[in-house]
Amino acid sequence: MMTEAKATIVTENDWEPRIVAYCCNWCSYAGADLAGTSRIQYPPNARILRVNCTGRIKPEFILAALDMGADGVLVSGCHPGDCHYTSGNLKARARWALMEQVIEQAGVNPKRVRLQWASASEAQIFADGVRALVEQVKELGPIVREWK
Amino acid sequence: MSEVETPRIGVFVCHCGHNIAGVVDVDKVAEVAEDMPYVVFSTHEMFMCADSGQELIRQKIKEHNLNRVVVASCSPRMHEPTFRRVVEEADLNRYLFEQVNLREHVSWCHMRQPVEATEKAIDLVRMSVARAAKLEALPIKKVEVTPRTLVVGSGIAGLTAALDIADRGFEVVIVEKDKVLGGAVAKWTHLFPSDQIGEQVIEPLIDRIMRHEKIEVVRDSKVVNFEGYIGNFEVTIQNNPTGAERTYKVGTVIVATGFEPFRPIGYYGYGESPDVVTLAELQEMPRQYELFKPSDGKPVKKIAFIGCVGSREPGTKGHEHCSRHCCSAVAKAASDLRQRCDEVLVLYQDIRTYGRGHEEMHRLARGRNVIYSKFPPDQKPQVTIRKGKVRLNWFDVLSEDHLQFEPDLLVLASAMVPPSDIEETANLFSLTRSADGFFNPEHIKLAPLTTHTAGIMIAGAAQAAKNAHESAIDASGAAAKAVGLMARGKVEIESTVAQVIPELCSTCYTCVSACPYGAISIDKDAKPQAARVTEAKCHGCGTCAGGCPSSAIVMLHSTDDQILAMVEAYLCTPQEVTGGNA
Repeated sequence: MMTEAKATIVTENDWEPRIVAYCCNWCSYAGADLAGTSRIQYPPNARILRVNCTGRIKPEFILAALDMGADGVLVSGCHPGDCHYTSGNLKARARWALMEQVIEQAGVNPKRVRLQWASASEAQIFADGVRALVEQVKELGPIVREWK
Repeated sequence: MSEVETPRIGVFVCHCGHNIAGVVDVDKVAEVAEDMPYVVFSTHEMFMCADSGQELIRQKIKEHNLNRVVVASCSPRMHEPTFRRVVEEADLNRYLFEQVNLREHVSWCHMRQPVEATEKAIDLVRMSVARAAKLEALPIKKVEVTPRTLVVGSGIAGLTAALDIADRGFEVVIVEKDKVLGGAVAKWTHLFPSDQIGEQVIEPLIDRIMRHEKIEVVRDSKVVNFEGYIGNFEVTIQNNPTGAERTYKVGTVIVATGFEPFRPIGYYGYGESPDVVTLAELQEMPRQYELFKPSDGKPVKKIAFIGCVGSREPGTKGHEHCSRHCCSAVAKAASDLRQRCDEVLVLYQDIRTYGRGHEEMHRLARGRNVIYSKFPPDQKPQVTIRKGKVRLNWFDVLSEDHLQFEPDLLVLASAMVPPSDIEETANLFSLTRSADGFFNPEHIKLAPLTTHTAGIMIAGAAQAAKNAHESAIDASGAAAKAVGLMARGKVEIESTVAQVIPELCSTCYTCVSACPYGAISIDKDAKPQAARVTEAKCHGCGTCAGGCPSSAIVMLHSTDDQILAMVEAYLCTPQEVTGGNA
């Protein structure tokens, strides 16, 4: 099994993690909007993609992002029980458990991916989540592709 | 899939005055965008949403024969409908529009990092351009609107909304969980600023409601199931005592479920003595000239109020907000009761008698020698209860002195909080809630009465702590919204539904069990068998597509291809390929 190598090529000074963030439209995307409206400042590393529901997110989307060189992937949705579509986020959560194992077996540290719940009013939780993932990924260094 | 025309993308970067341009180098973003794949035109403009900005988009669509439009401005949750309309006015299908969020997601949250913010902005534009190239036109679907409104709750908001709608000739079903109509207002004695008791305000409304041929009242009942989509909802109402259920078809819904007075256990001796009551409990005491102590039935000679109980507490979830009605309600009750009691004392942090006639009410109370004493927010009054006597000790800010008072009755102006079953209501109608626990409007300023579930409006204290006057205004507004939809007869709905590619389907039932709406079934008559989506039931969440192991489900306007194109555009740009397989 391949294991992820520690960063060697890029020094910490000129490297900033690249984060793909999948956010559901109703809770976390709105939470991110509120973070902006409230002028909450957080690291600019994440690029947010809007999906209707975290249930829309195929595990493949996360794997593809890592495969294409994302240093981390964030998935952010409504709290369980609070999904705009009743239960889409529960499916996302169930798939997540499996997906984490798959990426670990592929040699990617599961700390590179983060699943979080942030409602439309939880701007701070959203921002803190981005910060936490960025910091976590910074400790791991850039992703190095050692899988085929 | 079937799209053959070559994309011709126009990129419009918005300054939003200083909001975006003050942080993001919009010039550079527009310039870099020019060289992105399929981009044939790129510019930046002060306000894209203004008339001039809209005209520019329409003009450039014609001039450059654009078939895709990307606007990089604010959140699509705000102006996506605006720009969709703009491109449609230039004969471009609304689903060929794509918005980039440079304000809420970039300039406002990276204010001190202009370089990184600009870099992020360029990435986001690049991602959206990539997605735009893969967008497909979708048919615009219209559905009939059932000319009937469901009003949930029969407080002043629910009753007012119901009458407004019925008077315009549409049917209304009011469902009330209590045995009686009227909500909080009907129970309250000291209403401000008029000199009426709640009953006097509510009774005429109820009278008209009961006689109105267009209104059906369903009491002592609750909504147990809610399905469908704008114009075509199906609601099941269950009678509380009998359990009998009945289903109604409605086109629109107004949620007016109001509030609950906070029961301040642990505050100021509440629960320790019957002579410590909430303002709501005082309001609901039997109406008679003299006020009697709940403990021993003796007349109340000295009464004290404390304001902001369970309101305005920074850091306490659900109690950070100002409950808005209490200052004026206390002023009214205090000035009323001053005529029957020897001493009336009001302890407050701040007084906010903001509404019309409220300040006059406050002045009247003071004029009647109600004693107002301000305490510091970090030094709350102390209540001790000894041998049944309530004693107040507090620090008076203005005299800088420690004072003491022994009221016969202590009234706590407690917060307005959401009803205990609000979570159930939120789940039934797919509504989101704000930090204060009440329902979120679609937009606080631009759409304060509609919600993110099309066809569902909110009115009154269901949306936030507010007084009866404001609730009634909301109700008329929400009623107008509902009537607007029903009068049109037909409304457009999102075309973003799931579609099955039958050739790829292995009938594994994953999608059938994933769908929260029962919109997918296996078509057993098809040869070979395949999953089939009932479009009218599909809400477009994409949970089926997210789970399909065969990629046999296409989530329109959110296809795998469109999503992955964005990821690729971000991560696999030529100058920084880091081992991707672009």
